[in-house]
Amino acid sequence: MTRLNVNQWLALVLALVAAAYLAMAWQIPTFPLPRPVDSDLFPKVLGVSLLLLATLLFFEKPSAIAGTDDIDHEATNGPLLFTPWARVIVTSLAIAAYAFLLVPLGFVLASTLLCVGLTAYYGYRRHGVNLASSLGVVLALYLTMTRVMDVYLPTGVLPF
Amino acid sequence: MDALNNLMYGFGIALEPINIAYVFAGVFAGTIIGMLPGLGPISALALMIPITFAMEPSSGLILMAGVYYGAIFGGSTSSILLNAPGVAGTVATSFDGYPMAKQGLAGKALAIAAYASFIGGTVSVIFLMLVAPLLSKVAVSFGPAEYFALMVLGLTAVVSLSDKSLVKGLIAAVIGVMISIVGIDTQTGTERFTFNSIQLLDGIDFLVVALGIFALAEVFYMLLRGGGGKEVPRNVIGSLKLSRSEVKQIAGPISRSSVLGFFTGVLPGAGATIGSFLGYSMEKRLAKDGDTFGKGNIKGVAAPEAANNAACTGSFVPLLTLGVPGSGTTAVLLGALLVMGVTPGPMMLEQRPDVFWGVIASMYIGNIFLLVLNLPLIPLIAKILDLPRPLLLSMILIFCMIGVYGMSFSVFDLLLLLGFGLLGLGLRLFGFPTAPLILALILGNIMEESMRRALQISGGDWTTFIDKPISLSLLVIAVLSLGLPLLKKRRNKAPSAAH
Repeated sequence: MTRLNVNQWLALVLALVAAAYLAMAWQIPTFPLPRPVDSDLFPKVLGVSLLLLATLLFFEKPSAIAGTDDIDHEATNGPLLFTPWARVIVTSLAIAAYAFLLVPLGFVLASTLLCVGLTAYYGYRRHGVNLASSLGVVLALYLTMTRVMDVYLPTGVLPF
Repeated sequence: MDALNNLMYGFGIALEPINIAYVFAGVFAGTIIGMLPGLGPISALALMIPITFAMEPSSGLILMAGVYYGAIFGGSTSSILLNAPGVAGTVATSFDGYPMAKQGLAGKALAIAAYASFIGGTVSVIFLMLVAPLLSKVAVSFGPAEYFALMVLGLTAVVSLSDKSLVKGLIAAVIGVMISIVGIDTQTGTERFTFNSIQLLDGIDFLVVALGIFALAEVFYMLLRGGGGKEVPRNVIGSLKLSRSEVKQIAGPISRSSVLGFFTGVLPGAGATIGSFLGYSMEKRLAKDGDTFGKGNIKGVAAPEAANNAACTGSFVPLLTLGVPGSGTTAVLLGALLVMGVTPGPMMLEQRPDVFWGVIASMYIGNIFLLVLNLPLIPLIAKILDLPRPLLLSMILIFCMIGVYGMSFSVFDLLLLLGFGLLGLGLRLFGFPTAPLILALILGNIMEESMRRALQISGGDWTTFIDKPISLSLLVIAVLSLGLPLLKKRRNKAPSAAH
């Protein structure tokens, strides 16, 4: 059996997504009053279109994956935590943690922690400058949003 | 002659010292707010409503028009420097503006954006003054079938731009429409694709998707490339001056896109986003060096910038002459006018000529301020590139978070932002163009609504879309816009196969 190329893998994933989407589209309830077009028609058209396009993609000749040449190959050989993909995963986890800690800790504290932590993790070694600039930007944003624009941001553990 | 007299009358109002101060303040505040990813003209204008409440209606609208222009221009600076468009209308600017910044030509890209915005805005103000009543009549004749066809054309025009794979472009567009219809169906109240989540009932906000797919995905992409510190030349803003040949190169695109942008802006629902995409698409087709678009072509910055500013002015036509807002932004403006006790519509010209002509005259002045204010500030603005890359990446993240949280106050939206960031990275790595997705996201709802209204009027008869000449012509152009690149590709393949 021949191996599937990138486009064929993508097409299979998209076909699965389209099938799930169509299954959900068929469960959209019908509006009690008869109408020429109900809420489910457009989603069904979209699902079928995605399925057809996935089929076309399956037979399309793949081109080189866009970002592969640009990936930092030196870093790939370094410590596991600092490899390019580890950076993406750690950043994603940090963002998720930030989302959950924003309200309990407050905007200023959570944002400063995120900014200082990630900047240091990305390899910036001047920690004093890092802390000062992160805190400065976060405070400036916080004061502009809350004092000038009257947009509420969570205060959390800090009194202001 | 009448128009000239009226304009003189308008200048009399706009040149009052207090109104000049308002234009200046509006343009300045708009530019700063527009630069922050996440805070676009809608938020900027909404924030101005409490300020303008107590003002004279003409002064209030003058201030708001300045904010609107400024925010659109400010959005282009974050598009060019960070690839993080804060405003949908400046997404197309990032296609060539950001590559120019990466090549050390940020100053030039920003200068071109300033000139193009100025000319686009000025040309369209002249059009607004001369042909507003006539154009409003044409826009009125557009029914739902014509709007649906127009949306389809807008989408296919952008999909046809995807160089590598038309199929991938279409897939991106379909995904964009799928995202746009999440939430409660406004016509029947039925929930669609909400997974029983309360947070998804109102749908997914454009800002969450745009910041995720563009800004956050850019951060992830830079991280894959070792923090991105290698390729960006530090301290290189480049000259702001344009050579004669460069001026010659951008003169055509700016003038064509100014006119196109204005006419697009007049059509409700179209606005700056479609205007800028159409301008970009048209110039890419017309240019002899069309294959360098997306790699830092100066025409690719000039065309969308002229078009989006012209479209902003164009969107005032239905608002001022019909009282129909053509976009979310002009809807906020309409709300502000009503708060001030002014009802826009056909009678406005007779009842409140001070507001109508005062605003038009202030647009001239606003455009001059936009240029005077922004050109000297360019080197200062472009300094953002000098920040150490790790610090800049973290700060982009904070900007994205504050943009999303400040709008929705929802932790769920922050997680959605992360999801769209990862989706954006995937699309980028596998060669899916993001422009069709983002445009489809904006148009998806309007497109479905127009389609359903047209079918309701016709009693479910699908031929309604081809019975009407305007709708038929728009659909034919849409099909051609997809078919022609395919034919071109085949022709290019045939000689190479023969060899």
